[in-house]
Amino acid sequence: MTPQETARCAQVWRDAQLVLLALQLDPVGLGGVWLRAGHGPVREAWLAGLQGTGVPLLIIPAQVDDERLLGGIDLAQTLQVGRLVQLPGLLARADGGIVLLPMAERLPQQTIAHIAQAQDRGMVQGQTAQPERRTRFSMVALDESEEDEPALAARLNDRLGLWLDLRSNCLADTSETLEPLVAQELGEARHLLQQIKPTQAQVHALCETALALGVDSLRAPLAALRLAAVHAALHGRNALEDEDLAAAARLVLGPRATRVPDAAPAPESAPSEASPPEAPPPDALAEGDPDQITEPDPEMLIAAAMASLPPHLLDRLLLGKAANKSAGGQGQSGQFIRSKLRGRPLTPRPGKPGSGARLHLLATLRAAAPKQRLRNQPPGEGKVRLRAEDFHVKRFAQRSPSCLIFALDASGSAAMQRLAEAKGAVELLLQDSYARRDSVCVIAFRAAGAQVLLAPTRSLVRAKRALAGLPGGGGTPLASGIQSAMQQAHALQRAGSTPMLVMLSDGRANVSAAGVGGRAQAHADALAWAAQWRNSGFASLWIDTSAQPDAQAQALAQQMGASYFPMPYVQAQRMATVVQDLSGSLRKS
Amino acid sequence: MEHPFPFSAIVAQEDMTLAIQVVAVDPSIGGVLVLGDRGTGKSTAVRALADLLPPIKAVVGCPYGCDPANPKAQCEACRAIAKPRTEQRPVPVVDLPLGATEDRVVGALDLEKALSQGIKEFAPGLLARANRGFLYIDEVNLLEDHIVDLLIDVAASGENLVEREGLSVRHPARFVLVGSGNPEEGELRPQLLDRFGLSVEVRTPQDLGLRVQVVRRRDAFDRDPVAFRAEWDKANRKLRQRIVRAQKAIANLKVDDDMLMLCATMCHRLGTDGLRAELTLLRATRAYAALMGDKEVLRSHLRAMAPLVLRHRLRRNPLDDTGSGVRVQRAIDEVLAA
Repeated sequence: MTPQETARCAQVWRDAQLVLLALQLDPVGLGGVWLRAGHGPVREAWLAGLQGTGVPLLIIPAQVDDERLLGGIDLAQTLQVGRLVQLPGLLARADGGIVLLPMAERLPQQTIAHIAQAQDRGMVQGQTAQPERRTRFSMVALDESEEDEPALAARLNDRLGLWLDLRSNCLADTSETLEPLVAQELGEARHLLQQIKPTQAQVHALCETALALGVDSLRAPLAALRLAAVHAALHGRNALEDEDLAAAARLVLGPRATRVPDAAPAPESAPSEASPPEAPPPDALAEGDPDQITEPDPEMLIAAAMASLPPHLLDRLLLGKAANKSAGGQGQSGQFIRSKLRGRPLTPRPGKPGSGARLHLLATLRAAAPKQRLRNQPPGEGKVRLRAEDFHVKRFAQRSPSCLIFALDASGSAAMQRLAEAKGAVELLLQDSYARRDSVCVIAFRAAGAQVLLAPTRSLVRAKRALAGLPGGGGTPLASGIQSAMQQAHALQRAGSTPMLVMLSDGRANVSAAGVGGRAQAHADALAWAAQWRNSGFASLWIDTSAQPDAQAQALAQQMGASYFPMPYVQAQRMATVVQDLSGSLRKS
Repeated sequence: MEHPFPFSAIVAQEDMTLAIQVVAVDPSIGGVLVLGDRGTGKSTAVRALADLLPPIKAVVGCPYGCDPANPKAQCEACRAIAKPRTEQRPVPVVDLPLGATEDRVVGALDLEKALSQGIKEFAPGLLARANRGFLYIDEVNLLEDHIVDLLIDVAASGENLVEREGLSVRHPARFVLVGSGNPEEGELRPQLLDRFGLSVEVRTPQDLGLRVQVVRRRDAFDRDPVAFRAEWDKANRKLRQRIVRAQKAIANLKVDDDMLMLCATMCHRLGTDGLRAELTLLRATRAYAALMGDKEVLRSHLRAMAPLVLRHRLRRNPLDDTGSGVRVQRAIDEVLAA
């Protein structure tokens, strides 16, 4: 580890300690924490610190069902006492405290939706017709995803104010801890927190910083503002100072950065915009007092935010890729299909067993139980009267396997050497996908048409053999290549897997779909098929293999809805990492 | 929601706030679909909707809030009463949570009564509560298929028919569907898409001044919701009055044949199916004219409403990838220039 990295890790841990105090002071206002860390002593140390703050914690496991989450009928009690007994859900019980979500990256979409909705509304509605319950809570989402795995769903992490990444911290860092606030300190800080009002210039500075870092969601500057206030209150101030804003930029905005701001600040960021276009009267009331003259400097805040970024992340940002790969909706890879037989269990539904569906006995009994009196079943006989309407069947969500389709441009324009490198990359990926149980399919196009070199397979040996025998040279029938990939994709979808296309080409089409030479027609055909691909909704990635990337391939990639990646000098290992990185986000769309 | 964010305090997002107001003026337009990024205030705007609506008259004690003046749309119980007593109620804005069970949505056997007294009785669901009001579905594109089927059916017939658990109940369920969602996370079934009268796309404002304003207001609201609402009370009341005036004015607003022709031509040009698009376009344009306080329906009104009405109704042409917004705009320009 270099000294810089050691220093950075120490800073991250100090921030993590600060976050604990922030949570103690304001458990619900910050939305929560996205904690990226593997299972281990570092995370344990932080969680022990969280416990030490005395904020009520409630663990919600990833496989929680809707009834427990939102509230429902307490069946045992109900049957025992003979009247309806409601059971409040976990979210209602979390009021005023923190919800701990272990393995949050594995949370199913539906659970995330419920949690997000309850947090937004401050209310939770149970599954029965009981009145809504008030609940205000924040979350600590524990995310153990590896670098190449999809992380926490964006819907959730957008709502979590603080993003902590303890993945590179080691046990030695954790020796330094902050004492939790004692009751008196807490009372004083809470009192201060209520008094703190940001000035117009301060809000302006944070918003500008967020914009410069490419942070789009407006929840981020709001969370930053809140953290700045908490930071000030922790330091015994009743007004925000630059130091507080810097902490907010570092903790809230920095980790969310999606681009590196230009070195020179944009000209329009001059303070001329200090008054919004048409400030209506109510805002004027909230205006900060004019004697607060210290204008916070957005550049300073950007610098503070950048300080929190690990170095390799910066490299990736400069390459134009997002800071995290959870841009998609759900936190898991592959598409889900409903299945009656196997997979992760979903909530049972009313329905008749048979034709593949299996009876869910417990849910059926549950449905029947309240109606026993109606059915004139005297209690205590130990018999239950079931009717067809009580039947519930099991449902499962099954992950559909992914299949990467490689479309290789083997034409003369894609030079032979690069073809060899592309082949190497496919082999590398194949090894990875074998470990992940994805399959791979290879299509090559050259001269007059496209050829399926390798039907979907997981066999490394077969893939190698097929690739080794691939000749190069000839024209570029790009349209045929996409068309062939499309046929494969549809076939794969019918077979229940999720297709993804990786296109390796320079985009210089010169053979039309009909197999006739001519640039103009060839390009038009390629564009038409690219549009078709986009409409099919399958994910795709375009790797531009030409030595000098030009607009042509980029336009095609855009038409296709593909992520575009110029790679003038393909290196097998490097390309494999790029595809790995991007396939995480591909498979979610 | 104890204290929704005041509607009039929403910054920018003109399309979205306009669509919601237009639907509030004439609910027969059939609902709004709001699609857009995270953190743009989609659900904030919809949940603030109640601010805009004047209270309605309803039969006392009726679980469906039947309109005493309209016997045709009443439930059986209300129709049986000769002279029902009435009360003022706020227009219901009902939240349909994503994981709601069928029971919760359509209504089911009243478990409490069944257990304690052995009586079979119907406990109305969310559809009953939403009658004459609004039904809001956040993340509508993630709704489970069986609930979508149910909604499509009820939204078309205006009536909820329950035949289950030995119950046989039929009650009015006329509601305006309001949906919001992030299109990246899933597509909407075309049948459900068609049930929405207007659709808007929202984006996070990129203008720094606007962003600052959003953050300031939201921050002030989070700090003290009650005081913030009080500050905006006057603006909200003004907006409500404007909507009430528009609701009254709409009956006297004449639409001439020329305007009907324009609506028809525009829909024809874009190849939208059926007459629903034309009818919705006409209603939306009229409601917008009323909202603007104009005495007659003008071409400018049509120009403003056409994108909202038509954008989500276009057939997808697999080989033409031009955004539907562009295509609608082109058709509007062509038709109105003629």
